[in-house]
Amino acid sequence: MNLVRVAALARKEWREIVRDRKLFGLAFVLPAMLMLVFAYGSGQSLEHVPLAVVDHDRTDTSRRFAERFGNTVYFDLAGYVDSEREAAARLARGDVRVVVVVPEEFERRLVAGRSAAIQTWIDGSFSNSTPPRTLQGYVEAITAAATAELQAGAVARRLGVSVERALTLLNPIRVEVRYLYNPQLRTVWSVGPSMLMFILMFVAPLLMALGVVREKESGSILNVHSSTVTRAEFLVGKLLPNVAIGCANTVLLWLLAVGWFGAPFHGSLLLFAAASLLYVIATPGIGLVISLLVDSQTTAMIISVVVATLVGSQYSGMYIPVESLSGPGWLIAHVFPAMYFNDLVQGVFLKGMGAAELWRELCALALFAAAFPGLAWLLFHKRRRA
Amino acid sequence: MGEAALVSGPPVVRAAGMWKRYRGRPAVRGVDLRVERGELHGLIGADGAGKSSLLEAIAGVLSFEGGVLEVLGVRIDSEASAERVKGRIGFMPQGLGLNLYPELSVEENVDFFARLRLVPAAALAARKERLLAMTRLAPFRRRPMKHLSGGMKQKLGLICTLVHEPELLVLDEPTTGVDPVSRRDFWAILSELLRSGGLTALISTAYLDEASRFHRVSLLHEGRCVASGDPTEVRRLVPGAAVSVEAEPQADAFAALKAAFPQVEALGGTLRVFVEAATPEEATARVRSALARTPPRRVAADEPDLEDAFVALLRREGARVEAGPPVAVGAPAAPGGGDAIEADGLTRDFGAFRAVDQVTFRVRPGEIFGLLGANGAGKTTVIKMLTGLLRPSAGRGRVAGVDMARSDRAVKRRIGYMSQAFSLYTDLTVAENVSLYAGIYGLGRAAARERADALLAMAGLARHRDARTASLPMGMRQRLALGCALVHRPEVVFLDEPTSGVDPLGRRRFWDILFELARRERVAVLVTTHSMTEAERCDRLALMFAGRIVSDAPPAVLKRDVERDAGRLLEVVADDPAGAVERLRRDGLGDPVLFGRRIHVLSPEPERDASRIRKSLAAAGIACRGIEPVPLSMEDVFIYRVRALEEREAWRAGGRS
Repeated sequence: MNLVRVAALARKEWREIVRDRKLFGLAFVLPAMLMLVFAYGSGQSLEHVPLAVVDHDRTDTSRRFAERFGNTVYFDLAGYVDSEREAAARLARGDVRVVVVVPEEFERRLVAGRSAAIQTWIDGSFSNSTPPRTLQGYVEAITAAATAELQAGAVARRLGVSVERALTLLNPIRVEVRYLYNPQLRTVWSVGPSMLMFILMFVAPLLMALGVVREKESGSILNVHSSTVTRAEFLVGKLLPNVAIGCANTVLLWLLAVGWFGAPFHGSLLLFAAASLLYVIATPGIGLVISLLVDSQTTAMIISVVVATLVGSQYSGMYIPVESLSGPGWLIAHVFPAMYFNDLVQGVFLKGMGAAELWRELCALALFAAAFPGLAWLLFHKRRRA
Repeated sequence: MGEAALVSGPPVVRAAGMWKRYRGRPAVRGVDLRVERGELHGLIGADGAGKSSLLEAIAGVLSFEGGVLEVLGVRIDSEASAERVKGRIGFMPQGLGLNLYPELSVEENVDFFARLRLVPAAALAARKERLLAMTRLAPFRRRPMKHLSGGMKQKLGLICTLVHEPELLVLDEPTTGVDPVSRRDFWAILSELLRSGGLTALISTAYLDEASRFHRVSLLHEGRCVASGDPTEVRRLVPGAAVSVEAEPQADAFAALKAAFPQVEALGGTLRVFVEAATPEEATARVRSALARTPPRRVAADEPDLEDAFVALLRREGARVEAGPPVAVGAPAAPGGGDAIEADGLTRDFGAFRAVDQVTFRVRPGEIFGLLGANGAGKTTVIKMLTGLLRPSAGRGRVAGVDMARSDRAVKRRIGYMSQAFSLYTDLTVAENVSLYAGIYGLGRAAARERADALLAMAGLARHRDARTASLPMGMRQRLALGCALVHRPEVVFLDEPTSGVDPLGRRRFWDILFELARRERVAVLVTTHSMTEAERCDRLALMFAGRIVSDAPPAVLKRDVERDAGRLLEVVADDPAGAVERLRRDGLGDPVLFGRRIHVLSPEPERDASRIRKSLAAAGIACRGIEPVPLSMEDVFIYRVRALEEREAWRAGGRS
């Protein structure tokens, strides 16, 4: 390998990326922007959801029951509605997301010691099932609290004990949950490290693939084909600037995650650095392979984005634990570096793990860092067939 | 360098029976090629003739299936063997400056290529200065490549290809789309490089008129080599005479000649006939007898050119120059007899850049008017303003009597427009394309069918009506695009570079149609081109340079004017032509230019200058084999006009400061 030629290729590539506005944006602006957008977007928990009440009872009890919803941070009481029909209309318009219907004789039934059914409508038209389920949980919890209070009152009166004592008697076993690694379940904490994985997976192959296919489209790749540059020199020369950009982005995203969003970093910085270096070699490697299989920038872009988005989000363990994937899904997760890197950064950031626990992931990343550029080397030919 | 080519020795390139297929479709079909050391070899052919495939195979960047290829003594049959000669080859792929890096400056581009080729720093510094000076790019060394003009990009591409001092230079269409002045510069630089020795150049071009630039040429057509040799030799492969006639009515004379001779073309007001295997006297007599019903005004016989020979060779190979019957396809003659197109001081600015500057001209009904100029000269912008696609910044354009700035749909129905890109739907069949355009222009079903039949007959596409457009060769697509532009019987047709990249047969067929359209239907035709041979076919020609019209007259008048101003063109044949050029220049004998092995000099006093040339060469010990006046080419005219304009500008700028 001749280093003069590698340096010439790398320097040319670097200059083009820095001077071309589109490439510059892709390399240096998009990663940080994605981090901000995703972190703020996913940091929002489900609070202040507008809720309407149809109160057919119109009694003191029903009013107090309705107010329980408004008194939490989860719901904002958007008002009382006269009929189910009107409530349905407001739900359809999206003015409210939840409707609670209090039946007639609500108070009378409760006083008489009979049960009363509370009908609850929840907007199911979210793109995933988590928000409606969460809302259902909120409604059930608030109703359960109201029920418990009613029961406690009744028991206290019957047994002649205090309401607190009655509550203890009614709930002998209590669930106490402590969330490890992220005690306050702050989304940003766990999303931050995963975003590092996702953004590098998204940007690096795209930038790399465009870098090669752009030259295929213009014809300047023929300069390489027609010269004595070897295949390895060309690939290394193309890869180097992209690895440098990947490193810069890793530092930037780390600073954003830890410095800006306050994600904890408990593990070894050295391990993290080593893993990141391997990852920013492997990810442009994917781009190299894509670029050698297609001929137009549009195709390269579509393939990179689709692969990166799917692999980065669905098969990396970011949303769905990889253990719950089966068959092809499990396989896809294991032939890309995203899952390994995700496990590694989660371990380093939140669990304070070191090389002793994460060596398998590190080895896998090293393998990918060699495999993708190696595959590109096999695919690249300087004397094309068509 | 003439001698260098004659030195015997192993050829630099030897191809025998080469085949190249793309997915089964052959692009190169058994080509034999021999390029000798020190030679300037031209590969001439239309788009799709197989030039690029051949050159890429020679440069070692494309594999091929059949035949033998040896480059610089190495048999090329694998990626590894190709690698072995790449260090000694300089390859410039097709597409003006496309292999350069737009974001990098001129100097950075050169440096990149040099480092890629491991040129030592000291050698690079010296070579770079020499090449930048030679190409006059030195003042622009810091300018990003994307801001260079076409001619400058071409020269920078040449420097980058030369910076490692290759033995074999392979250039794929380096002159396509470059203005004539830059083109002439390019050839001069190349001649100079070849003269310093050790270099062999293989260059492809789509312009047949560039053939005289080469020591030897190979004519390619549909993947086969039709002829190969010295341009003069190739021209003489088909003996005969070319006869020029003027007769009225021209359309009838044209039809009569077409019936009698296979190779007839209309060049503006003149008809040109190639009479095979005839002396000039015989040819003249045969043409006269064919024109018994329309006695010719003027008949003159001269030497046939390379295109005559090329077309004759293609005919021998079985290709037919189809003579479609004249079909009424155009509009009724415009009433009133006013001008079909009037451009008055048309000007268009794009930001600070003036693309079109004070352009004024007139086109009468039935006239074929040509706008000639390089890429970026402003031709397309003029067309866009006249067709109402673009508003002029100043000035006025009237087409078919209506101001285009206030154009409405009624006006657009009176004009036809065929763009560079042809705007055909390649997934539709031929007939579907025509009926689509008929629908767009609101023709009824019956009218559309009748019209489609007539247009397809005119375009010689009746047998292909159900063929997918994508499967048609370039020439047929072009005629289909013309048919689509004529579907609504326009009075004025605009054609933007209609025949670039089409082979000579296809181009002739196309121009025959234009001729019929203009002469019989009185349709006004405005056509842009950067091909000098095509320009000769127009009735009137406006030369455009840097957004301005430099000259506007019939081609013959343009030539006569230059001859009046600057004198006759003398062709000098001498041993050591490159040495002779230098000698003549030193002795102050005009501005001699090298064309292959011949020298062209513009001379105000031919007799006196001829003897001075002889004396000058004799003093230098160079044998002079002959001096004779030759006709000016359109390129000579263009360059003379542009240079005069530049000098006037420089003088004016100097006078002001």
